[in-house]
Amino acid sequence: MMSDTPEIVKKVFAIFVVGVLIIGFFMVFTQMPKGNEVNVNNTVSRFYVMKDVDQATQMLDKGTYFNKDMVPLRNDVPYTPITFGKSENLEDGAANVVTSIVVDYRGFDTLGEVTVLFLAASGVMLVLHGEKRKVPKKKIAPSEIMYVGTRIAFSVIFLFGIYVFIHGHLTPGGGFPGGAIIASGILGLFLGRQGYSPNKAGLTVFESLSGMAYAIIGIIGLVAEKSFLANFLPTGTIGNLFSAGFIALIYIAIGMKVGSELSAVTNAMIVDTEED
Amino acid sequence: MITLFSTLLVILIVAGGFVSIFSKKLLSSVISMGLVSLGVSGLFFFLQAPDVAITEAAIGAGLSTAIFIIAMKKIQKGGTSDDE
Repeated sequence: MMSDTPEIVKKVFAIFVVGVLIIGFFMVFTQMPKGNEVNVNNTVSRFYVMKDVDQATQMLDKGTYFNKDMVPLRNDVPYTPITFGKSENLEDGAANVVTSIVVDYRGFDTLGEVTVLFLAASGVMLVLHGEKRKVPKKKIAPSEIMYVGTRIAFSVIFLFGIYVFIHGHLTPGGGFPGGAIIASGILGLFLGRQGYSPNKAGLTVFESLSGMAYAIIGIIGLVAEKSFLANFLPTGTIGNLFSAGFIALIYIAIGMKVGSELSAVTNAMIVDTEED
Repeated sequence: MITLFSTLLVILIVAGGFVSIFSKKLLSSVISMGLVSLGVSGLFFFLQAPDVAITEAAIGAGLSTAIFIIAMKKIQKGGTSDDE
């Protein structure tokens, strides 16, 4: 706060922030539905999976396509309800509809997004590596608790990041958040050990390979389905891990690319700071 | 309960924004920006957008706060010559 702010205002603000965090923490136990009580058929994605947002509720009631005046729109196509875990060979097959738009229907858009992130990371590393290096100053090393704690937390965070991008077609999340979570884990390693440095050449190779994998998957779609980034794999049963065709493959590539890129950016910034 | 908590989150976001603008210390500005991101990600979660909430929490509240703090340290070291 401002330097002339009275001490009591700062304390009230701090108490308010801590209070909100505590209330949010305990709301997890009181307000959230338990896992086995959630009816997946009533969630939002159930309506969007049908690709017909306006009449979604009417379709649920009547079992056919109606417009607003309740006149049947199509009699030739029978309405088949999509059931989580049962319906097979759908057009897209991803239970998480955001993912099916981001990776499948607008896959080319996402390729551009990955390119933007790549250019930004290249710019950061180009600017930061041009500096003159000096001998590292003597610093206070992190404590033993920090060293051990960050290493334990890193394994859990790394596993969670991988989970987020492998299950991108089933649960919220995907390649970009998963990669960012992995990079935050590596940031923790930097905090825990003085002079920690990941294998920079390995990060570069990893990032380039996963970026190439994205383009190669797109070209395979061009060869097999006559369209760049077309889904060339069977979509399987909605809700299974091995479903939704190539979405999981692309999200694994994006997750590895974003994770190694953001780790390399963090590495460039921290190492230069330490060697100033 | 959720309405009350959302109201608290909105107050938190506004207060964090005021602190980050009017604070004289750069460090408290950066940390309150992370606080704003945390509140926004909570609001996204209650507005049925868990995808955006996860991204906001990982990038807005986690990585960008850390990178701001690192950059701030770097600037302060380069800016003052009588540091050592």
